[in-house]
Amino acid sequence: MEYLIHLAILFAIYAILGISLNLVVGYTGLLSVTQSAFYGIGAYATAILLTQTGMNFFFSVILGIIITAIVSFLMGIVLSKFNGDYYALGSFGFNIIIFSIFLNWQSLTRGPLGIPGISRPVLFGLDFSQNITFLVLAWIILAIIYFISRFIVNSSFGRVLKAIREDEKAIQVFGYNTFNYKMMIFVISAAMAGVAGALFASYITFIDPSTFTLNESIFIMAIIILGGLANLKGSILGALFLILLPEILRFVGFPTEIAAQMRQVVYGIILILLMLYRPQGLVGEYKL
Amino acid sequence: MDILPQLILNSIIAGAVYTLMALGFNLIYGATKFFNLAHGVLAAVGGYVVFFLFKSNGWNLYLSVLIAILITGLVGYLIDKIIYAPLRKRKASNMVLLVASLGIFTAIQAIIAILFTSQFQTLSTGAGDSNIYQIGTGSITQTQVVILLSGLLIMAGLVLLLKKTLLGKAIKAISDDEEVAKIVGIDTNKIIGYIFFIGSAIAGWAGILIGFDIGLEPTMGMGLLLKGVIASIIGGVGNIYGGVLGAFLLGFVENFGIWKISGEWKDAIAFGLLIIFLLLRPQGILKK
Amino acid sequence: MPILKIKNLSKHFNGIRAVDDLSLEIEKGRITGIIGPNGSGKSTFINVLSGIIPQDKGFFIINGEKVVKVKPHNIAFYGMTRTFQDVRLFNQMTVLDNLLVVLTKRYAVGALFEKHNQLYLNKAKEILEKVGLWEKKSELAINLSYGQRKLLEIGRMLATSMVSGEPDIFLLDEPFAGLFPHMVKIVESIIKELKEQGKTIILIEHNMGLIRELCDHVFVMDEGKLLAEGEPAEVLEEKKVIEAYLGE
Repeated sequence: MEYLIHLAILFAIYAILGISLNLVVGYTGLLSVTQSAFYGIGAYATAILLTQTGMNFFFSVILGIIITAIVSFLMGIVLSKFNGDYYALGSFGFNIIIFSIFLNWQSLTRGPLGIPGISRPVLFGLDFSQNITFLVLAWIILAIIYFISRFIVNSSFGRVLKAIREDEKAIQVFGYNTFNYKMMIFVISAAMAGVAGALFASYITFIDPSTFTLNESIFIMAIIILGGLANLKGSILGALFLILLPEILRFVGFPTEIAAQMRQVVYGIILILLMLYRPQGLVGEYKL
Repeated sequence: MDILPQLILNSIIAGAVYTLMALGFNLIYGATKFFNLAHGVLAAVGGYVVFFLFKSNGWNLYLSVLIAILITGLVGYLIDKIIYAPLRKRKASNMVLLVASLGIFTAIQAIIAILFTSQFQTLSTGAGDSNIYQIGTGSITQTQVVILLSGLLIMAGLVLLLKKTLLGKAIKAISDDEEVAKIVGIDTNKIIGYIFFIGSAIAGWAGILIGFDIGLEPTMGMGLLLKGVIASIIGGVGNIYGGVLGAFLLGFVENFGIWKISGEWKDAIAFGLLIIFLLLRPQGILKK
Repeated sequence: MPILKIKNLSKHFNGIRAVDDLSLEIEKGRITGIIGPNGSGKSTFINVLSGIIPQDKGFFIINGEKVVKVKPHNIAFYGMTRTFQDVRLFNQMTVLDNLLVVLTKRYAVGALFEKHNQLYLNKAKEILEKVGLWEKKSELAINLSYGQRKLLEIGRMLATSMVSGEPDIFLLDEPFAGLFPHMVKIVESIIKELKEQGKTIILIEHNMGLIRELCDHVFVMDEGKLLAEGEPAEVLEEKKVIEAYLGE
C-alpha cells in the first residue's frame, strides 16, 4: 500500500511535467528538449531555501517559480532565434549547461553530493510528512495545473498557439506577434515544471544532479508523445503508463537491477513504434 | 607556460576525436538532412564489441577491431533500413525522424548497459601497453597518435570517395536534392544505406579508439555525438572540411577554456560555443 | 489616390533577380491585376509586400506611411491581408478554428483572458456560409478537398477584416487556380463585394478572362521587371505582353 502511494505521488509529479511540456511541444510545436532543467531549478530552489533558510514551502515554491521564470525567459529569447532541428539542438545545449551548473557550482548545490534533509511541506499548520497527506497535496497541485492548462488551451491564446504550430509565418501575417506568444507559453511551461521540481524535492527529501539530465528530458518527451500531443489528458495517461512500466516489467520477472535499464529500452522502442505506426500517440490531437 | 605544449596536444587529440564523429555525422546529415541522434550510440556499440571480443574473450586485437567496425556499420545500416527508410518513404517530418532517433539512442544505450553494466571499462590491458611519445614538455600516447592519424586519413578518404568515385557523385547528388537524384535514376535508398554503413562504421571506429584512450561507458555516445554535431555546425554543416575545422576549433576552445576554469565545465563551454555560433553564424564558418 | 506605392523593389535569390527594381502605384478602391509568365516575380512581390521575405532594396509607402522593413505581424496594422498561392492553412485545426483564430484578440495577454464572444462565432458562421463551408466547420482543414481549401483561405482573409481596424488592402495570390466553376463564381462575387465596400484588391492571376472581367487596372511583370500597365483590354493586346507569355 505504501508503495502504491509512492507510485501515485511520482505519477502526479510526472503528469505535471508532461502537461507542462505538452503546452510547448504539442500545442505550440516547439521541439523543446530541456524540461528537466526547469524541473531541476525548481527542485534546487526549494531544496536550498528549505535547508538553508527556514522558509515555508509555499514561499519557496513561489521563489522557485520566479527563478525558473527568469531563466526560462532568457533561454526562450535565445531559442526563439532558432527553428526546427536547431531549436531542439539549442535546447539540448541549455539542458546540458544547466546540468553542468547543478553539478559544478558546488558552493550552491553541493555538486554530486546533493542536498539532503529537505523537509516536507508545512502549510497552513498542516504537516505533510505522512506520505498519504503528501499524495493529497501532490494531486491537488496536479489538478490546479491541469485546470490552468485547460484554461490556456481553450482560450483564444491557445488557438493561436496551435496556429503557430501549424504555420508560424501564416499566422503572423494576420497580425499576431508570435514571439510574445511563444515566450509566454515557454515561461509558463517552465514554471510548471519548476513546481513539479519543488514537489519532488520535498517528497524525496534529497536531490542530486543525476535526476535532472538530458535523459530525463527525453523521458518527459516520451510521456507526451505516448499519451498524445496536444491533449492534456493524454499527458496524464502517458505519465501513468510510463510510471507503471517498471512495475509491469518487474512483475513479468526482470530483476530490479536491470528494471531501470529495461524501462529505457521499452520506452525507447515505444518511441520508435509510435513514430512508425501511431504518431498521434494514445489520444493525441496532433500528429508530429 | 610549460603546459602549453600539452594543452596544444590535448586540443589536437580532442579535435581528432571530434573530427571522427563529425565526419560520420556530416556524411549522414548531408544525405538525409535530419539530426540523427542515434549516431552517437554507435560509437559505444563499436567500443563494446571490441570489449566483448578482445578483452572478455581474448580474440585477436586486429580481428576484433575489424569485426567491431563491420558490425557497427551493419547496425547503422539496419537502423536505416528498418526505421528511417520507411519514415522517409511516407515523407515523415524531421521532427518525427529526430524523435525516432531519440528512441533508438535510448534503447540501444540501455541494452548496452544491461549487457555490460553501467560501469566504466577500458579496452587497454594495462600500463605499458601503449608507447608514449614526448613532444617538448608534452606527451602523447600511441593510441592518441592513431586517433590523430586516422582522423586525417578518414577525412582524406572521404574527400576522395566523394570527388572521385561514382558512389561519391551519387552521394553528392542526393545531398543536393534527393528528389532530383531519384528522377535521374539514382537508387537513393540503396545509396543512403551505404552512407549509413560508412558513417556508422566511422563512429564505431571512434568509439574503439576512445575505449583505448580513455575508456568505455554506455552513456559515452550522446556526449561524443553532440560534440561532433557542434563541430559540424560551427565548421559549416554539410561541408567535410568544415566538420574537421569545427572539430579542431572546438578541441582548442574546450581545452584552453578549462585551463583557467575547472575541467568539469568542459561541456558547458562546448554548448556555449554552439549557442553563440547558432546565434551569430548558424551556417558555420565554411560554406557548403 | 494611390493607397500603395512600391519604390525600386529588388529581391534576388542566389543570383536570380526575382524582383528587379520594381516601381508601381496601386490606386485605392480598384481591383488591380498583376499578371505575367511563370517566374516573373509576382508571388515574390506579394511575399515581400506582406513581410514573408525581406527585400534587398526598395521600400513601400502604405496609406501614406513609408515602410522599409515589413514585419509580417505588422501588415495587419497597415491594413493588409492576404491569401497564399500554396494555400497555407492551419492543417491540424478545424475549419471553424481556422477562422476563429484570426478573428480573436491579437495581443497575447488579451487573447488569454478574452471571454467567449458570440459575435466571433456569428461572423465566422457568416463567412463560412458565404464560401459554403459551414457544414464542414468541425472538419480538419487538411481533410478538405483542394477547392474547399482555397475557399477556406478566402474565408480566412475575409475574417481578418472583421477585427478592429478593417483591412483596406486585399492581396490575392492566384485564388482561382484549380477551382470548379461554381467555386469560381463564389470567389468572383466576394471580390466584387469587396470592391463595392471601397476596398482595394491586388489580384495575381493567370486566367485572362477573369482578369478582363474583374480588373480595373493591370500590371504585367516579366523577369522581375514591370513590362506594361494599363486597362486589361489594351494591355492584353500589346505585342510585347503576348511575346512575353509565348516567348517562354
